[in-house]
Amino acid sequence: MTDDQRPPPSARGSHEPRTAEGRAADHAAIDRLAEDLVPALIAKLSASGLGEIEVVEETWTVRVRRPGDAIAGHGRRATDRPSRSQPGHAGHGHAPGGFEGHRSARDGKPAAVAHGSSNGAGPAGAFESGAGGGHRPTESGADPHRVVATSPAVGVFQPRADIKAGTRVRGGDRLGAVDMLGIPQEVVAPADGILGASLVEAGQAVEYGQELIVIELAARTADARTAERGDA
Amino acid sequence: MFKKVLIANRGEIALRILRACRTMGVEAVVAYSEADRESLPVQLADEAICIGPADARRSYLSAPAVISAAIVTGCDAIHPGYGFLSEDDGFAEVVRAHDLTFIGPPANVLERFASKEATRRLLGSLGLPTIPGSIGILRDDAHALAEGERVGYPLLIKPAAGGGGKGMRMVRTPRELEAALNVCRSEARAAFGDDSLYLERWLDETRHVEVQVAVDRYGRGIHLGERDCSVQRRHQKILEEAPTPSLSVEARNELCTRAVRAVVSAGYENVGTLEFLVDRDGGFYFIEINCRIQVEHPVTEMLTGIDMVAMQMRIAAGEPLGFSQSDIVSRGHAIEFRINAEDPERDFRPAAGVVERYLAPGGPGVRMDSHLYAGYEVPPFYDSLLGKLIVWGPTRQAAIERGHVALAELMVEGLVTNVPIHQALLSSEAFLEGRMTTNLLDRVGAAAFLAAAARA
Repeated sequence: MTDDQRPPPSARGSHEPRTAEGRAADHAAIDRLAEDLVPALIAKLSASGLGEIEVVEETWTVRVRRPGDAIAGHGRRATDRPSRSQPGHAGHGHAPGGFEGHRSARDGKPAAVAHGSSNGAGPAGAFESGAGGGHRPTESGADPHRVVATSPAVGVFQPRADIKAGTRVRGGDRLGAVDMLGIPQEVVAPADGILGASLVEAGQAVEYGQELIVIELAARTADARTAERGDA
Repeated sequence: MFKKVLIANRGEIALRILRACRTMGVEAVVAYSEADRESLPVQLADEAICIGPADARRSYLSAPAVISAAIVTGCDAIHPGYGFLSEDDGFAEVVRAHDLTFIGPPANVLERFASKEATRRLLGSLGLPTIPGSIGILRDDAHALAEGERVGYPLLIKPAAGGGGKGMRMVRTPRELEAALNVCRSEARAAFGDDSLYLERWLDETRHVEVQVAVDRYGRGIHLGERDCSVQRRHQKILEEAPTPSLSVEARNELCTRAVRAVVSAGYENVGTLEFLVDRDGGFYFIEINCRIQVEHPVTEMLTGIDMVAMQMRIAAGEPLGFSQSDIVSRGHAIEFRINAEDPERDFRPAAGVVERYLAPGGPGVRMDSHLYAGYEVPPFYDSLLGKLIVWGPTRQAAIERGHVALAELMVEGLVTNVPIHQALLSSEAFLEGRMTTNLLDRVGAAAFLAAAARA
């Protein structure tokens, strides 16, 4: 598994000004670590029963932690959503162990117009037709690299001011709140990871369960990487 | 009239309200729980919004969720349907405080009629006969025993805040009364958060007859006739018809006239239903008022041709009724069958599952109000009502014949329904002769009706 592992490029140095080239090299290094080192660490973590493993690889520090909060949170909320095999949901399988709020057909749709474009599509297709295309392959729960923080209530979304794409978060961290009639309902990260795209704007109306913020999972699984290689 | 209405309910009544909005040119938003994502009202809506999880306490019963949904979707009114928040005066008050209109009686009216015991006294003082009972809420056991002695046994213990038969007990002796009080108090507290009880004389072999009224903001009131809901199982109505076969035209007229006069005097507003028990001699006694649109409203719509949901919305919007009692013409006879997902052969236990095939009956005088479609999975979280089949005929006999045909045509595959009990009822002598009383089905047993129908 670590045969092709190479140290991070020597060009990388914390005191040097970051150039486009340097950033590209860093991303390449992160990709390699994610591809090769992280799966090994996950395997070790799973086998050990430890809560966290941290290793230093040249100038990089890699820490893998069990997302305990996310698992608990998922288990609780999953009971709220009965699984179904309706025609309308037939096209997109849900990932086993997928996280809450991964309804792919509804990615990024503002609540107030949730079905505006879907009327007339007929019972079976009504939800699919509202999907809006673009988001589904990446932000859906079928993607094992990502989870999505969802809205705990119907109301107006306000993200925390001090977080943005790229911020590292832990499962259970508060990402913002949905104001339901003056009662703030906390939006929490379902798992450890790095904040990705925001699917709704600050101040936008959201419905219960609506996907709000993508979280790139802290670790990628070996299986997923293999699959990606096959695609390439 | 409103520009946009939030429909804060589910199932067939959400669909019914959506249809009323559309015919009036009012936009509608269907509020739904996660369990109802694939429901027909959500799919047919121009706009729908998820307000919470399957648990009704966090969705259909959550005042903040419902009002927040109305605000973020730009609605100016909320229709609560029946059940859930429909008679909650606190909810109606908060709705108003957010500059939205609650489609139903105003909060202060709901509050005035919130206590059954107080309503009984109020309408009793305005000319409606009430069942002899205790004066006021029972203070303690000694007070209960003294009042019991005064009213006379057998007695019915009733919770002041209640409905749906919870916390009710029939007692025959002072000793039974004493023993039952604590049970009734704790049942009432658990069900309604209020353990106030009162006593009523128990009437044997009664019919349930209710009067539909509508009163506008300007104090103009009309009645739309009565409905007979005597076919019940454990205090739950399963079949309703109008006119009642148990009263003469004159008696019906007197009942309805007195009912509307009393509620107008009491300051009622919007549509409402006054429920009465009718004894063997035709004497009637007011029992309670329902401050909402009722499940069985289509029976009245079939007779009068009036869209009651639309009328309810107009009244809530402050419009005058626009017609008087003499404009209302009631024609023929209508019967409503509540189609429930429950098995009459297994003590009416609720059934859940996927509707594999569905066909609604048709033909003259046949109406099906249902949210079913083939492939729909009935969620296990809510009531078992799958829809209502309503038939109309120029006579009771003609309505019964259409009922037979329509029930045979109705196809709901994949779920066990109570259609067989309706078919058995339509063939039973007690129903055909108009002799059903509220406790007959429980006393004789559904199995006996089914067996008799099978022999016929």
